Amino acid sequence: MSIKINDLTVTFKNGVTAIDHADLEIPKGLFGLLGENGAGKTTLMRVLTTVLKPTGGTVTLDGMLYSEGNYEKIQRKIGYLPQEIELYPNLTVQECLEYMGDLAGVSKKVCKERIRYYLEKTSLIEHRRKKMRQLSGGMKRRVGLIQALLNEPEFLIIDEPTTGLDPEERIRIRNLLVDFSEKRTILFSTHVVEDLVATCNQLAVMKKGAFLYAGSMQELINEAKGHIWICRATDEKQAREIEKKYHVSSKQYVDGELRIKLINKGKPDIDCTPVSATLEDAYIYITNKQ
Amino acid sequence: MGKEVKICLSLYKIVYSTFFVSILCIVRGVSFTNEIGVALEPPLALLAAVFCADTYVQEIVSKRAEVERLYPVKNRTLSIIKRMMVQEGYLFLLAAASYGMYGIIQKPLSLYGTQIVIKDELKMFLVYLAAIAVTLIFWGLLSHTLSCLFRNMWAGIGCALILWITTNSTIGDRLLGKWNVFSYTFRNIEDNGDLKWICGKIVCVCLILIMGAMLPEIIKKRG
Repeated sequence: MSIKINDLTVTFKNGVTAIDHADLEIPKGLFGLLGENGAGKTTLMRVLTTVLKPTGGTVTLDGMLYSEGNYEKIQRKIGYLPQEIELYPNLTVQECLEYMGDLAGVSKKVCKERIRYYLEKTSLIEHRRKKMRQLSGGMKRRVGLIQALLNEPEFLIIDEPTTGLDPEERIRIRNLLVDFSEKRTILFSTHVVEDLVATCNQLAVMKKGAFLYAGSMQELINEAKGHIWICRATDEKQAREIEKKYHVSSKQYVDGELRIKLINKGKPDIDCTPVSATLEDAYIYITNKQ
Repeated sequence: MGKEVKICLSLYKIVYSTFFVSILCIVRGVSFTNEIGVALEPPLALLAAVFCADTYVQEIVSKRAEVERLYPVKNRTLSIIKRMMVQEGYLFLLAAASYGMYGIIQKPLSLYGTQIVIKDELKMFLVYLAAIAVTLIFWGLLSHTLSCLFRNMWAGIGCALILWITTNSTIGDRLLGKWNVFSYTFRNIEDNGDLKWICGKIVCVCLILIMGAMLPEIIKKRG
């Protein structure tokens, strides 16, 4: 299962272009989509889930063109977990999943089997009789993930599933996504870099509706190699001057002095040493390159 | 059906609707039993419009609609029909109960002689049930359809309210006469043999059928 996006453009009625002539190929496995808020990630996902029709360009799913005539076939292959979804608060976890499975057209027997399997896999089996409104944010997200998997989709689209979750829950969600990516394509959108470091090999970076990068994570990190520097400032005044002149990615007090990590194409004209790049550095480097 | 009950018959809805009819039975006075139907029909129509407005729009507000968009339209339409049935069933029982509450609280006088009271009162009650059933379905479905079209519950209620004010007025009665959706309210209550008001209910039934036929397309386009 692969998804090909060619020259995709989405312009809203108010004239705002959310996606601007974008090209991308999403291979099988877990594929990360990284970008700041408003980069166009959610718009892209809405196009891929057939919620939104593009103004221009084409999208194909396993060679099947996104067009009115194919929408029903495409929709059957997709599972979707939006960023914010409130599942039926008055239903229990089991009831909620049965109801959504029923809506999805999954037969009752198969649906029950799948629900049991995924509840066990997501460690929610003991909470199945709890009402949805009684669950924590992380548990709700896991139930959301199960509902997206009920029709056994070949292409799973997950929009910022870890936002607002505690570290333990984030790790749990990330691990589940890796498990579920074994036999399918998962598009994992986030603005949390750590989530992608822990899960993906392939990713795309979006900014202002365009893809700045698409490829392997290592190659992206390599692109930033030689452009990340560490310098030390003895006081706040010196630190402010550095901040004015360079793009600072992080600051940290170590042994009474301020250690500043900055991103610059060449060696900065201050006393500094090169350091290896992380994905976060690479992301900042690539989004500020222009 | 149990899940639909939990989804669309939440506690707050039951509480406000019960309060509404209880207060109505106390505040709106009637002298004779044949006035009960007239006193109940317009307020219950309004209650149905408010009650059913969120039948599908709650899916849009909660963003569940974005996921359900991937599901077959047939299944989504069926779930809405089930929800409407649950809500309308509840409202119908409430309407029947409120007729009885009127009898208990207001103690209206019967127009008929003491010999045939029960038979005639029962007939009047059954006619009321038939009329109110059509009214409840019509106003419930109307506000639901409008809410779906606007993708907003309040817009749906607002438009239904405008129609309610227009048709439930002297102008509405003069303009539409027996074809008014509130023809049962405006009928001659002194004349039991006058059945011209059924025309208004036929209009309601026709509109219900049209809105019902439009439902899958509305869900597909606006859902």
